Amino acid sequence: MSVSVLKLNGLPFQLRGLGARLYSTRKGEVSSSDPQKDIIRRHLYPPNIRNKASPTGTWRPDVARALQRAIPSVQAHETIERAWLLHQRHLRKKRDAELQRKFNCMRQAMQELEEIDSRLFREANKQEDPRARSLAEVEAMKSMSEPEKRAVESRVRGLFPRELRIPTDTPPKNGWPNEWRAFQRPLA
Amino acid sequence: MFSRTVLSSCKRAPQAHEVAQVDAALSKKTARPKVHTGIILNRSPIITRTPTAFEKAYYAYQTRIHRALHNPFPYDFYFKQGSPLESRFNIEERRRERKAEAEKLAEATMRDEEEAMPRVHEADINSDFKNLNRRGQRNLYLLLQKQENGTAVWKFPQGIVDRGELLHHAATRGLEVECGNNMDTWIVSRNPIGVFHPPSPASTGGAEEDVVFFYKAHIMAGQVRPNRTHTQDFAWLTKGEIKTRVDEDYWLGIKDILSDF
Repeated sequence: MSVSVLKLNGLPFQLRGLGARLYSTRKGEVSSSDPQKDIIRRHLYPPNIRNKASPTGTWRPDVARALQRAIPSVQAHETIERAWLLHQRHLRKKRDAELQRKFNCMRQAMQELEEIDSRLFREANKQEDPRARSLAEVEAMKSMSEPEKRAVESRVRGLFPRELRIPTDTPPKNGWPNEWRAFQRPLA
Repeated sequence: MFSRTVLSSCKRAPQAHEVAQVDAALSKKTARPKVHTGIILNRSPIITRTPTAFEKAYYAYQTRIHRALHNPFPYDFYFKQGSPLESRFNIEERRRERKAEAEKLAEATMRDEEEAMPRVHEADINSDFKNLNRRGQRNLYLLLQKQENGTAVWKFPQGIVDRGELLHHAATRGLEVECGNNMDTWIVSRNPIGVFHPPSPASTGGAEEDVVFFYKAHIMAGQVRPNRTHTQDFAWLTKGEIKTRVDEDYWLGIKDILSDF
């Protein structure tokens, strides 16, 4: 038994998976007891014979021919790629310029706030601690119902709220939710 | 007057410009501008942007290349040879190949979606500026129409900051007073995102300066219920539409704060 195990380790990689089959059959007999297992085995460990392209992509002789049919020419393909990269660059530059403008507005606002009132400036620059609860919040939570308490706790300071919707390809079936129960959020 | 008596007690005779400077310094210390908070309430885009013609063509080109280069599909692993499921798959696959070659793949997948809502809402067709379903791809901002010195002006919601109140608290309060609390809003941070100096009337000459700090907020549900005493009208507008309605100096102050698309 141990001898045959050692022999299997010396075999090339593809045939190792067939070890169980080889071990269980006599010489020259092909086992067809479970065709599904054979199919799985054949796809996981494609045979080394190079006559057909395999799903795992070990040998792909048809790629060049298929590519010739797909693209017009090497020069055309490179031009298309360069046009796309240029387009992406334009979009990126526009986005960066817009962000820069917005940031400059913010910086200007903070500079003026510092000149006008130092206390307001200090408060505006405070780091938000997501776990902290202000006095007003604690007071208000005492007299709230369970759903209202959950609504207050779910809004974590400094994080985006869960209700902010990510854009989808088509709008929601019920459109914009115009009805929303008025809920007074305690001041943070 | 006070400055003149102080200076006259000095040995040197007071110069006219020195007197004026001391007067100005004293008046600067006492005059703190009136602080207001404005809120830029933003409805983010609901649907993704339509790709341009170039982008569509590029995506179709890339699809063709991927179809040519992808690893061969293991048919006998997924389908039993000769089964009806296999023949149905082959038919659909041939249809997909033909469609990919005709470069109509994008529109076909959109049509195949069952009972999807159309991307253009009736609010776009009717130009209903109060409806929050209009212009799903764009960022919409809330503008209120107010009466100022007899004329109607379009502005962002605004409110005065009380003594000892923090700016972002004043922003929430101001929004609630002007637009009602029937909306699920979220003020993004404690920092203002922009500042604006409204042109003060010439008579006061700088004694009563106003300054408006803008705060960004998102609306996630609900609708505006404007306070009739302060505002006559409201509208949800894109950046280009805001430019047509707002005063020129106001536009120059706010245009860099808003998103382009």
